[in-house]
Amino acid sequence: MGSNMLAMILAGGRGSRLHELTNRVAKPAVAYGGKYKIVDFPLSNCANSGIDVVGVLTQYESVLLNSYVAAGTRWGLDTKDSGVFVLTPREKADTGLDVYRGTADAISQNIDFIDTYDPEYLLVLSGDHIYKMNYAKMLEFHQEHNADATIAVIGVPMKEASRFGIMNTDGNGKIVEFEEKPKKPKSNLASMGIYIFNWKLMRKMLLKDMKDPNSSHDFGKDFIPVMLNEGRTLCAWEFKGYWKDVGTIDSLWEANMDLLDDNNALNLNDPTWRIYTEDAAVVPQYIGPDAKIKRAYITQGVEVEGSVTNSVLFTNVHIGKGAKIVDSVLMPGATVEDGATVTRALVADGVHIGKGVTVGKKNSENILLVAEDVKGKED
Amino acid sequence: MANKAFGVITSAGGNFHVEGLHDYRPIGAFSFLGRYRVIDFPISNMSNSGIDQIQVYVSSRPRSIAEHIGTGRHYNINSKRGKLQLLFTQINNPQSIYNNNIAGFYENMEIIERMHLPYVVIAPSYMVYKQDYSRLLDEHVESAADVTLLYHRVSDARDAYIGCSVLNLNKQKGVLSVTQNMGTAKEKNIFMDTYVMSRDMFIDLVNQARAQSSAYTLTDIVSVKCDELDVRGVAHRGTFAAISSLNDYYNANLGLLDLDRADDLFRSNWPIYTRTTNACPTKYFDTANVKKSMIANGCLIEGTVENSIIGRDVHIRKGAVVRDSIVLAYSDIGEGVTIEKTVVDKWAKIIHAGDIRGTEEHPGYVRRNDRI
Repeated sequence: MGSNMLAMILAGGRGSRLHELTNRVAKPAVAYGGKYKIVDFPLSNCANSGIDVVGVLTQYESVLLNSYVAAGTRWGLDTKDSGVFVLTPREKADTGLDVYRGTADAISQNIDFIDTYDPEYLLVLSGDHIYKMNYAKMLEFHQEHNADATIAVIGVPMKEASRFGIMNTDGNGKIVEFEEKPKKPKSNLASMGIYIFNWKLMRKMLLKDMKDPNSSHDFGKDFIPVMLNEGRTLCAWEFKGYWKDVGTIDSLWEANMDLLDDNNALNLNDPTWRIYTEDAAVVPQYIGPDAKIKRAYITQGVEVEGSVTNSVLFTNVHIGKGAKIVDSVLMPGATVEDGATVTRALVADGVHIGKGVTVGKKNSENILLVAEDVKGKED
Repeated sequence: MANKAFGVITSAGGNFHVEGLHDYRPIGAFSFLGRYRVIDFPISNMSNSGIDQIQVYVSSRPRSIAEHIGTGRHYNINSKRGKLQLLFTQINNPQSIYNNNIAGFYENMEIIERMHLPYVVIAPSYMVYKQDYSRLLDEHVESAADVTLLYHRVSDARDAYIGCSVLNLNKQKGVLSVTQNMGTAKEKNIFMDTYVMSRDMFIDLVNQARAQSSAYTLTDIVSVKCDELDVRGVAHRGTFAAISSLNDYYNANLGLLDLDRADDLFRSNWPIYTRTTNACPTKYFDTANVKKSMIANGCLIEGTVENSIIGRDVHIRKGAVVRDSIVLAYSDIGEGVTIEKTVVDKWAKIIHAGDIRGTEEHPGYVRRNDRI
């Protein structure tokens, strides 16, 4: 395959709205969909789009994420000219050790890395979105429109548009205005945080941005507005398909629940666009003689002896006899002992819920995050 | 100790024929428990025992084994110091008496001679069990035996393990002879086709077998040599199955729905590795009704599944009932179809709303790619 486009995934987000889930791991390393991690999506999309070199920019809690993404073999990014590179802030000869000051700064600080591949185009991605996208199609659009930059956009309901960065276009795909969270949105095309830039021009502009004391070095706030002001050609490429930003416990729960929907647009078993992930050496799922399962998404290594309704169970989850799981998401290694009830909850990795207890409520306003063990009635 | 031995994995001899399944692939490549292939067990045992020089002998139809094993990366074998080799024989006819394991070894003698490790562990690709070969090698070296053979004492040899070899032991576990199980008695020491010996002894036995009869197998020459050599048996404990007939295959799979048996075979400190297909998790619909079953990833379950094993990417449609059966990967069980005591091979599509029923003594079989 081979392409003249290099991808950089912004995976540095702290994800503090995911609370305890991101105490130990960065948001892109959070589990999703039974057997995946969020970062598997941009990485698999890159591999499936024929992109060979991917840089993953991380800052917070990066040891686990680093060791995870560094095994490029998992996504097939392991041929001679390809690879996944973890890029944390580094001390360089002319500068001290610094943090990434913003999304654009994270790219600026890695100009030396990008230069070694001499790409024509740079693809900038976010590490915490769930979607399947062929970036090669977006590049085609970018080339056809002779754009300096192309931003992927998605139509959102008009009443929610004020929560997003909105692109106003001239009808031919050219962006005439960009408004961050507008009170009165003029369009419903929201930026997906996915950009293609012509690297030569971008490189020049990044060097300028680095030295600008008034810039917060952010793509949405600084870099894109400057490009528009300079009269550059920015185009909007409309994406149609499933896309979810999993920024909160509720939205992470929802994104998992979407997998139970019979008309779910995110088909994870499409043989032409597989999502690759770490392979676990575990046995197939075992469903016990007294188990009851209705509407569930369950992966290998799971053992169910109780009842599961409208829920997603991740690798190595154990559900004891008489336990009831309703409208819940149970992350890898979570255990629910005999007779316990879990309702409208998101149970974090490895959490143990003791015998006979009740966790979560039907009709609760928010999803309950269970991040610590819950003692059983007999413990 | 295991870093002193290399591994050899052999194919089942021509004396075994598993109805149906065997027409498409060697026993080592049979799907097992919905996720594995039988050969994953011996390779994982070797890998977990610290053996990372492994020769896999394929006697016929190599495609499925070659595809599944590939570079061996997924068996956790060091990609630089370790090596997983696939070795073939020129005789491709699986039923030929000349297509025996000695012929395979003899044709590849140059490669065996180039192995510099002093010991060899030989295991079959048609048996399912867990064994730490490093402990077995220690036992072999300590006992100063010439050849150590692993066996399993069974009490159902009248109906199962037909065609397998049997060890006749003296009280000191010395092997007097190796014979074939003809189903004449219930209690037998089934030979697990697993040997430990020195590399030199192995080469010597292959050459001697070749000199005496071109139809000799490794078991035959060891049996002949029992008088001269110190051949000892070591008993294996735990879950054990030989895939020597469709019945044995069926029972070996369904037997693991007994969690005690399964837990003995699958320990977290002894992983059984296999090749991933990147299938997504399995989806259970409102109409699903699943009891006492093992289900692999990538399935869509809309119907009833009881006491069964379902392979990857299988679709069980509304109103379908699968009971006491094994459904292999990519098959499609149509609406209203009932399947009982049957092995459904890969890619089969059963549309007609009829019943397919086997019996306890003789499970049914639906061919690969078949449409019914």
